[in-house]
Amino acid sequence: MNSNNKIVRGGVAVLALIILLTSCNKLYTDPVPIRVPANPSGNTLAKTLASTPGDSLYNRLVIRSGILTTAPATITDSTLRFTMFVPDNNAMKVFINALSLGAVPLNAPDAVFSGFITANIPVASAAGIVGYNIVAQVLTTASFPTAFPNLQYPTILNPAPTLSALLRLTTFPSKRGSTTWVNNVPLSAADAVASNGIIHHVPAMVLPPNASLWVRISTDPDMTYFKAAVLRADSGTSPSSATSLQGALDNIGANLTVFVPTDSAMRAVLTQQITGALIAQGYLPLTAATTAAALASTPAVFSNPLLYTSLTVMLVKGLVAYHILGTRVFTVNLPTTATNLYTLVGGAPYPGVSVQASFTGPVVTAASVKGAANASPSVILLDPTPYTGKSDQNATNGVLHKINQALLPQ
Amino acid sequence: MKKNHRYLVLLLITFVISFSISAQTLTITGNVKNSSNNDVIPAVSITVKGSSAGTFTNEKGDFKLVTSKQLPLTIVVSSIGFATKEIAVTGLSAPVQVDMVPASSLGTEVVVSASRVPQRILESPVSIERISAANIRNAPAVSYYDVLANLKGVDVVTSSLTFKTPTTRGFSGSGSTRVNQIVDGMDNQAPGLNFSVGGVVGLTELDVDNIELLPGASSALYGPGGMNGTILISSKNPFKYQGLSFQVKEGIMNTDNRFRSLSPYHNWSLRWAQKVSDRFAFKIGMELVAAKDWLGYDKRNYSRTGTNGKIVDGDRATDPNYDGVNVYGDETTADIRSNVFPGLAAQAPFLKGFLDTLNGGRPMNVSRTGYNENDVVNQNTLNYKLSGALHYKLSSRTEAILAGHWGTGNTVYTGSERYSLKGLKIGQYKLELNNPNWMLRAYTTQENAGESFNATVTTRLLNEAWKLSKGSTGWFSQYSQAYVGARLNGATDFTAQTQARATADIGRPAAGSAQFNTLLNQVRSVPISKGGGLFLDKTNLYMIEGQANLSPYTKSFADVLIGGNYKRYVLNSEGTLFADSTGKIGINEFGAYVQATKALFNDQIKLSVSGRYDKNQNFKGKFTPRVTAVIKVAENNNIRLSYQTAYRFPSTQQQWINLDIGSSTRLIGGNKNFLDYYHLKTTPSYELSATSPTTVNTTAYSFPASKAESVTTYEIGYKGLLGKNLLVDAYVYYGEYSDFIYRTLVIQPNSGNVNDVVTALAQNIPASNVGRIFSVPANTTSKVKTDGFGLSVDYRLPLGFVISGNLSSDNLKDAGGFRSAFSTPKYRTNLSFANTGFGTGKKLGFNVTWRWQDSFFYDGDFGNGDIPAVHTLDAQFSYKIPNTKTAIKIGANNLLNEYYVNAIGNSMVGGLYYVAFSYNVF
Repeated sequence: MNSNNKIVRGGVAVLALIILLTSCNKLYTDPVPIRVPANPSGNTLAKTLASTPGDSLYNRLVIRSGILTTAPATITDSTLRFTMFVPDNNAMKVFINALSLGAVPLNAPDAVFSGFITANIPVASAAGIVGYNIVAQVLTTASFPTAFPNLQYPTILNPAPTLSALLRLTTFPSKRGSTTWVNNVPLSAADAVASNGIIHHVPAMVLPPNASLWVRISTDPDMTYFKAAVLRADSGTSPSSATSLQGALDNIGANLTVFVPTDSAMRAVLTQQITGALIAQGYLPLTAATTAAALASTPAVFSNPLLYTSLTVMLVKGLVAYHILGTRVFTVNLPTTATNLYTLVGGAPYPGVSVQASFTGPVVTAASVKGAANASPSVILLDPTPYTGKSDQNATNGVLHKINQALLPQ
Repeated sequence: MKKNHRYLVLLLITFVISFSISAQTLTITGNVKNSSNNDVIPAVSITVKGSSAGTFTNEKGDFKLVTSKQLPLTIVVSSIGFATKEIAVTGLSAPVQVDMVPASSLGTEVVVSASRVPQRILESPVSIERISAANIRNAPAVSYYDVLANLKGVDVVTSSLTFKTPTTRGFSGSGSTRVNQIVDGMDNQAPGLNFSVGGVVGLTELDVDNIELLPGASSALYGPGGMNGTILISSKNPFKYQGLSFQVKEGIMNTDNRFRSLSPYHNWSLRWAQKVSDRFAFKIGMELVAAKDWLGYDKRNYSRTGTNGKIVDGDRATDPNYDGVNVYGDETTADIRSNVFPGLAAQAPFLKGFLDTLNGGRPMNVSRTGYNENDVVNQNTLNYKLSGALHYKLSSRTEAILAGHWGTGNTVYTGSERYSLKGLKIGQYKLELNNPNWMLRAYTTQENAGESFNATVTTRLLNEAWKLSKGSTGWFSQYSQAYVGARLNGATDFTAQTQARATADIGRPAAGSAQFNTLLNQVRSVPISKGGGLFLDKTNLYMIEGQANLSPYTKSFADVLIGGNYKRYVLNSEGTLFADSTGKIGINEFGAYVQATKALFNDQIKLSVSGRYDKNQNFKGKFTPRVTAVIKVAENNNIRLSYQTAYRFPSTQQQWINLDIGSSTRLIGGNKNFLDYYHLKTTPSYELSATSPTTVNTTAYSFPASKAESVTTYEIGYKGLLGKNLLVDAYVYYGEYSDFIYRTLVIQPNSGNVNDVVTALAQNIPASNVGRIFSVPANTTSKVKTDGFGLSVDYRLPLGFVISGNLSSDNLKDAGGFRSAFSTPKYRTNLSFANTGFGTGKKLGFNVTWRWQDSFFYDGDFGNGDIPAVHTLDAQFSYKIPNTKTAIKIGANNLLNEYYVNAIGNSMVGGLYYVAFSYNVF
C-alpha cells in the first residue's frame, strides 16, 4: 500500500510534468492581410477648394455641379483619388465675363460672379465642366508624359452613360522641359496636395469638348469645302463602315488631329488643280482659269459630275486623309524643330506632314504644317477660343486646327 | 539443381503424409486462469512438450488438446504477460487446472519481420518496434493506427481523421510511397492511388494481433518500397483467438466549435472467430467508423508555380490573386492586364493609355473567388471494414488460409491536391499455405476510387460551370470592366479590386445552396478526362510469392531462407489519372531473395547475409544486399550492426500519371512514351528552378530515363534488459540516398523560344502565361545524406506501473543541392506512464502519453511551409468489470484540444474524447 501511494504520488508528479510540458501548439490558420495604405489624413479636395479663397468661384461651380454629392466619383470621398485642373478666381472671372457676353464685367464684386454661377449656369453644364476638369487618378506633374504622342487621361465625365459605363472624355496633360499643360492650357501652379488627390491651377478654364470633329466640320461655315470633300471621299461608303472618314470623324472612340483648310484655301487649291486639268484637256489658260474658278466657287465642286474623272473618290479620300493625324496634337505639343508626322494615309513609304511651332514661354506664337508637295508650310491659324476659334479646337474625339493652305502629298 | 528437386519431392511427401496421420490419440482438456484475479485467460498456448501438437484456450479459458503421445506427458502453458508453466499430465480423469502468474514481459516478445523467422525482439539484428494487441488495448489512441505515432522514430502525417501516413527516418509525406505497409502478408498500397490504405482498409481493430515496424531501409526482405520503413500488421489466428468480441466506442470531437460544431465519433467493431474442429476455424470482422472529419482550415495565401510555392502575405480582401491553402477554386488565375485589358482598349481606345499605366505596367494577376474546404469536401468521414478468413489445417504444421479484407468509406487525402475520397473501395483477397518451413501466397488488391474527386479541380470547374472565366462576358472580363470602371471613378487599386470582385461575383452560388450543390454534384460526377473532377481508378495488383526455410537441410553450415515473388499491376483509370485512355496498362515485376544466418563463437555472434534481386519491366534490375550481425554482450543484452539497402521503382503514378492540375501544369509520368506524345524533345522544353523567384535553364532539358532510387543505411544499435525492469533500445544510423526520385518542372514555351520565358519571369509574369508546364519525375545525380538516432527506455515500477520514454532524431545532412522534401522534424519525443492492471483485482488501468515534435519545414506537392512544433497529450483510464469479460475505457486523444497540423494543407487535428465498452477483447 505504501509503495502504491508512492507510485500514485510519482504518477501525479509525472502527469503534472507532462501537462507543464504541453505548451500551446502554434496553429497557422488565418492569412496575414497585406497592409492597405491608409487614407491620408488632411483635407480632401473638396475641403481644400472650399477653404482656398482664391478658388472660391470654382468652388461655387463645383457646388453647382452637384459633384460633391453624386456618387460614385465624389471629391469629398477620402477613399477615392483624383487630379483636378482648377481655374483660379481670375480665370473664372474671365470665363464668366465671356459666358455672360460681358454682362458681368471683370471688375464686378466676387459675389456677382458667384451669383451668376448659381443662377445662370445650368447644373448639367457645371457638371460637364467640372467633370472634365477631374482626372480619376493621382497625376503629379512629375508623371506628366514628356514625349509625343500624347496619352489620353480619362476624366470622370462620361458623355453618354447609356452607351457604356466606361465611356470617358479624355484630357491631355503634357510636359516639355519645365512647362506643363493640360490640353493647350498651361498650368499656372501645380501639385497642390489634398488628402485624396492633387490640384493643378490653370489660368484659363479647360472646357470640355461639346461635339465630335464631324459635327464641328459639318456645321462650321468656314469648313464647307472640307465637309464636301469628306462626303465625296465617302461616296458609296456608309458612315458606319470602318473605312468611312465621316464615321471616323464622328466616332467617340477616335483620337485624331484634323488640319482643316479654310474654304478660301480649298477654293484656291481646287482652282489651281482644276485649271491644270483643263489646260491638259486643251483649254486655253485664261479660259481654264475662269472655268476652274467658277467650278470651284462652291463646295458642290466635289459632287459635280463633270469633275468625277478628275476629282476621283480615291484622290479626294487621299487628300482628306492627308489632313488627319491618328493622334491628338494640340499646338503646344508641336515640336520647335520641323518634325515629320505620318497621317491617316499611312506610314512610310507614304509621305507625312512636317510640323513645327514657336513658343514664348508656354504660349505658341506661330505654328505650321507642311505637306510634302507644298512649296511652303501651311500656317495654323492661331485662335484657341473654345468652340468658335481656329486652332486647338478640342472635340470629343480629336482636335482641329484651321490652316491657310491645303496640304498636298504629291 | 537435382538436389533441389529432391527437397521439393520430400516436401510434397511430407505434406501428403500429414493428411493421413491418424494414429491412436488421447485428448487432454483443461482450463487456464489468472492467479491474481481468477479471470479466465483466452488464447493461451498449450503444447505438448517434445511434439508439434498444440492448441489455444478459447474465450472461456478452456482447452482441448489432442495428441498421439502417450501418458505421462508434459504440457507447456504460455502466454505473453505470464510466466510460462510446465505441467505434468499423468491421467485424463479430471481436466487440467492451470493458474498462471502474471510476469514481466519486458523483452520477451517475439518478432518475425526482422529476419522473416520468429526470434526474440532482444536478438533482432536490425531496429524493430512492436505493438502487441495488449498495447493497443491499453493505448489511449482512438485507433490502433495512431499507436504507431508513439513509437520512436515515427512521424505521422495526418491528412484527415482516418487517413494517416506513418514514416520513419525522414521524407515523410501524405501517402508516402517510401514506406511499405504489409497487412497479413499483403502489400497494402493502393496500386493506382499509390498510398497505403492501412487506416481505411486494413484490419479491424479487434483482429490486430501485432504490428511490427522496421524503421528505415528494409527492402532486402520485403521488396521495393521499404526505403523509409516497413510496417507489418498481422491479424489474430482464429485457432488461437476464439469467440465473439465487440467494442463500442462513442466519442465527441470539435468540442470547442472552432472549425466545426461539436460532433459525435462512432467506432463499432466486432470480431467472431470459431474453431469448428481441430482442422477448421474461421473468423469474420467488421468495423465502422463514422464522424465529422477534421477540417483543413489553412487559409493562408499560397503563391504557386506548378508544384512549387510558398506561403505569402495577403488574404481574399487584400490580395486580388489570393490562393488560400485550403481554399479551392481560387487557383484559377489570370493576368487581366495582358489578357483582358487589350480587348477593353480595342473597344474603348481612349482608355488604352490609362489601362497601360495601371499598376505601373506590371502584371495584374487576379484569382477567382474560391470556396472553403468545408464547402466542397464531404465532412462525413465514414469507414466500413469487413474481413473474413477460413483457416484449414492440412496437417498439424501446415495451414491453408483463404482471407479477404474489404473496406469502403469517405476520407480526405492530400496528394498534389486535396482529394475527397468518397466511396473508395479496396479489397484484398489472398490464398495462403503456411508451414513453419515454407509459405506460398497469392493475393490481389482490387481498387475502386468510387466517387472520389479532386477538391481543387472540382471547385475550379464548379466556378466555370457557374460562370466561365474566359470570353467577353466571362468572369475575368466582368471583373476587369468593373475594375476599370471603378478606377475611372477615382477608386484606388484596392477599392477597385474589391468592387470588381463584388461585381463579377454577383449571383455566385452561396456555399451549400441548392444551386451550389447542383453544380458541385454535376462537376464531380464527370470524369477528369471529360472535363470533370472525378477520377475513375480501378487499378488492380496481382501478386504471388513463396518462401522456404531450408534450415532443416542446411543446418550444418547455416540457416538458409529463400523466396521469390511475381507482381503485376494493371492500371485502369480510363484516362482520368493515368495515360490509359486507350486501354489498361500492365506493369510486371518479379523478385527473389535469399538469406543465410550463421551463429558463431558459441552463439555469441550471429551473422546474417541477405540479398534480393528485383526487376520491373520498365526499369533495370536492382540488387539489394543486407548484412547484419548481432553480438551478445551479456545475457539479454545485444549489440546489432547492419548494412542495409533499399530501393524503390518509380510508383505507378511516377511512371504513368497524366493529370492536368491547372495553372497550365500537367503531371506526367517518367515513361518515355510521354516524350513523344507531348513532343517534349522535338519541341524543346526547359527546366524551371525550384527557387524563388523562379528561373529557367536555357539549355533544353534532356529528359534522362527514370530509374529506381535507392538508399544504403549503416546502423549500430543496442537493445538490452538492465536488471529485470529496465529495457533500453538505442540506435544510430547513417543513410545515403542515390538516384533520389523527385519532381521537376519543365516548360515548353508557346513560342518555342526559351527567351520568352526568361523575359516573362524577369517581369514577374507567371511562367504558365508563356508555355505549357510539365511536372516530370527525375532522378538526382547527387547523393542525399541523412543521419539520426533513437533511444527508448521502458522502466517497470512495482505493481505493474510502467514508465516509458523515447527520443529520436532525423537529420538531413546533405540535400544534394535539390528539393528533396525531407519534411521531417529533427527531434521528437514520447513519454508515457501506464499500468494495465492495478488496484483490487487489478481492475483498473490507465495510460498517459505525451508526444512532442520539433518544428520543421514541410515540403509537399500540395504546399510547402513551416510546421510549428506539436505537443499532444493522450490519456485513457479503464476499468475491467469482473467476471463479465467486459471493460470500460474513457480516453482522450489530444486531451488539451490543442489543434495541430503536421503537413501544409492537412486537417487541423483537435481533441477526441471517447468512452469505449468492450466485451471479450483480448
